[in-house]
Amino acid sequence: MYLTKEEERIYDGEAGWANQVCMKILVRLGELFNATRLIPIESAHVSGVSYKTIGDAPSEFLEALASSGGKVNVEATLNPQSVDPKYLRKRLPESAIEKQLKIVRQFEKMSFTQSLTCTPYYLKKPKRGSHISWAESSAVVYANSILGAWTNREGGPSALAAAIIGKTPDYGVHNAENREPNILVKVEALLRNETEYGALGILLGKILGDKIPIIQDLKNASKEYLKQLGAALASTGMTNMFYCNYSHVKTKMKEIQKISVEAKDIKESIESLSTAPTPKPDLVFIGCPHCSINEIKQIANLIGDRKVKDGTEFWVCTSRFVKEKAKKYVERIEKSGAHVLTDTCAVVTWTDRLGIKTLMTNSAKTAHYAPMLNKAETALAPLKECLKTALKG
Amino acid sequence: MKQIMLRGRVIVEGICKAEALVSTKPISFLGGVDASTGEIIEKNHDLYGTCVKDKVLCFPHGHGSTVGSYVLYSLAKNKLGPKAIVNQTADPVVAVGAIIAEIPMVDQIDIKQIKTGDVVEVDAYKGVIRILKKGES
Repeated sequence: MYLTKEEERIYDGEAGWANQVCMKILVRLGELFNATRLIPIESAHVSGVSYKTIGDAPSEFLEALASSGGKVNVEATLNPQSVDPKYLRKRLPESAIEKQLKIVRQFEKMSFTQSLTCTPYYLKKPKRGSHISWAESSAVVYANSILGAWTNREGGPSALAAAIIGKTPDYGVHNAENREPNILVKVEALLRNETEYGALGILLGKILGDKIPIIQDLKNASKEYLKQLGAALASTGMTNMFYCNYSHVKTKMKEIQKISVEAKDIKESIESLSTAPTPKPDLVFIGCPHCSINEIKQIANLIGDRKVKDGTEFWVCTSRFVKEKAKKYVERIEKSGAHVLTDTCAVVTWTDRLGIKTLMTNSAKTAHYAPMLNKAETALAPLKECLKTALKG
Repeated sequence: MKQIMLRGRVIVEGICKAEALVSTKPISFLGGVDASTGEIIEKNHDLYGTCVKDKVLCFPHGHGSTVGSYVLYSLAKNKLGPKAIVNQTADPVVAVGAIIAEIPMVDQIDIKQIKTGDVVEVDAYKGVIRILKKGES
């Protein structure tokens, strides 16, 4: 791999240990994947923030990095943590919260933006065609497929190294030739809601591996529906992007493999993700990935004057930024007895310690992970049904 | 005994001599290895119950969460880490872990040549592994 004089100096340790170890990570990864050089990035988004998910192991490394002068060199955002600032902080054990806050403090020392969201693109949309270095697989798929920014599917440590150096090795989908689709998916069913888009993603992830699909007949889907599709796709597969129209594509459609998906496949996918079709779940959860302003508005309008049922928890999760912007709608949602939580979500917090054994959600990604990560039975259903279950009347 | 020498690619430089601990299965450091004891805790793993401390840990490649890199760092800081890592094919999780934990690492090695209990020398400057003494088994 070619390094500039300045990059070499950092590699040799002249800019201190923190920069050196980050440069080593980028260079060695680049060599593993046959990169030719490092390229500047517009932003980085780091995963591995939630204490529940990562445990004690990363704290020591983050501390070492922060205390030896590690500082971000580009706009750098953080994935969600395990608690929100108010509601859950009162209900969870202090020792766990303290460890969580310590992790975030290390990131703060290194000048990361305290975004604490899996949808950093709602805070600041990366430019079309810009190179970025993002972890959080749902955001990676969204950036590549819907925003047209270019990012590999980074892990927590490699995105962290990229944030500090401000560069990434030029392999994978940072090269135009690796962004061409290589399989055509024909959807022979009318997808009616976000849950069906998510179910399609779960199904395709299992079949596609790391292939890049063109998914036909989704042209009219909202960005929120495609967000669900991408999040689910990344949960079961290694795919880091998809196309839903042909206009930017050079590949000749005749030359690539084709598969089709039928209505019964979608139905089966939803059924396989619903382990607990209970009429009274302990928790109804909306906001995986974190809600957009539009989604918050839609939820507020659908709730109307209704109230949350006694004995049911109803959470809507989003970022601090979106909550602030959508204040008017947030107030209406909270009037129902629902909780609009920021900085976290059901998957990355300790729902089991809150006594939650059954969980209903409209997110296929959550339904995929919750049995494992939350030890909860799940029911997967579209927003309107989730609301019907959560609310009186 | 004729000394066996294997040649691979350097991932992290260093040199050491230790007993080999060899697995035919991939290792997930997050969830698979206890960072507070160095023990392999993944059920049904062929190294289940063994400790990676001070071994030349040989396995095909890593898998699982990228947080696994940090587990290697913690192991090394607590002096529970392997002396060296030898892989068939390095993957990003283990490679990054070895870099930040400063554990010598070589890949592109036919690990079937090495048996648990062999005494091996890893020269991760040159990318060379020498089997100095075959184990009892």
